[in-house]
Amino acid sequence: MSVAAEHGHEHDHPPYLAHHFFNMNQQADSVKMGMWLFLVQEILFFAGLFMAYIAMRYIYPGTWLSAAEELDKVMGATNTVVLLTSSLTMALGVRAAQMGNNKAVAGWCAATLAGAYGFMIIKYLEYSHKLHVGLLPGKFFSFEGLEQNAADAPQLFFSVYFMMTGVHGLHVVIGIGVIVWIMLKAMGNSFNSENYAAVENVGLYWHLVDLIWIFLFPLLYLVR
Amino acid sequence: MANAHGAHAADEHHDGLGHHISPLSTYFLVYGALLVLTVVTVLVSYAELPPAQSIPAAVAVASVKATLVAAWFMHLKYDKRFNIFIFVAAIWFMAAFFVFTLFDLTSRDAVMETNSHYQFRVDKEEAAQ
Repeated sequence: MSVAAEHGHEHDHPPYLAHHFFNMNQQADSVKMGMWLFLVQEILFFAGLFMAYIAMRYIYPGTWLSAAEELDKVMGATNTVVLLTSSLTMALGVRAAQMGNNKAVAGWCAATLAGAYGFMIIKYLEYSHKLHVGLLPGKFFSFEGLEQNAADAPQLFFSVYFMMTGVHGLHVVIGIGVIVWIMLKAMGNSFNSENYAAVENVGLYWHLVDLIWIFLFPLLYLVR
Repeated sequence: MANAHGAHAADEHHDGLGHHISPLSTYFLVYGALLVLTVVTVLVSYAELPPAQSIPAAVAVASVKATLVAAWFMHLKYDKRFNIFIFVAAIWFMAAFFVFTLFDLTSRDAVMETNSHYQFRVDKEEAAQ
């Protein structure tokens, strides 16, 4: 452990150690705990959307069975693989940061970004198809090909679908932003084996986006 | 700091902070398991099971995948106990939220019936067919 660890203020300590922390260990642990508190807030926030899904599905079981048929399983599965792969590259990026290899961090970030953009492109194809045929939420719903009973409410299924995937997509877009930030910092050699909390926390955020999609994909696309 | 973890296998490393660095093989194994489970959940969906079976099956597979991501990709397995506690507590509260809201949803029909109001669960009959 470095000299800066157990001392007053006169010594030089690394510029990335904020003065209100005793040492890097304490700083890293605090930052990470803060990130976890933010992440569970995200989980509870998405829980509201999942509850909407459960409630609508409970009230309109028939709707769910017919409306979900209109989603493209292959596109959903492809996006799942794309996102899982980007999660792997992000995890490898964090590993590279732990070993202080900035070049590798930047490279893995670029790979993760490719996955993130791939995900958004597939999402765009899905959305534009639905927009085109009128598989839309609420009063905008105008699709005619759906076999339905009088009591069905497919517009509600698509309200839930667009809200859940839309908010998730927004998280992907924000993820692209923070991963670009990390990549640029890594290209400027900002990280080392002691100072990589930013990479780690961006990684945690990206894995959470993946975690939420892991539940969204089967519940929306697969379960009939 | 690193001495505290001396029991680890030789191919496991530690960074300047004494944090655990997993070997590359761990990440690829977890990734492989995630891909296999994705294939499993897609294949199960083609079995056209009724919702009473397909929902628990899908949620079970997704939970295993989520556990893999949280434990290894998010390093919770090697993290401070307190961060694990934060995560598990959030899942617990989420479950409580679901369960108590479901108490409300599932008891409405009976209440509405007694009060001879509208049928709450609109297309229950059609779905049951």
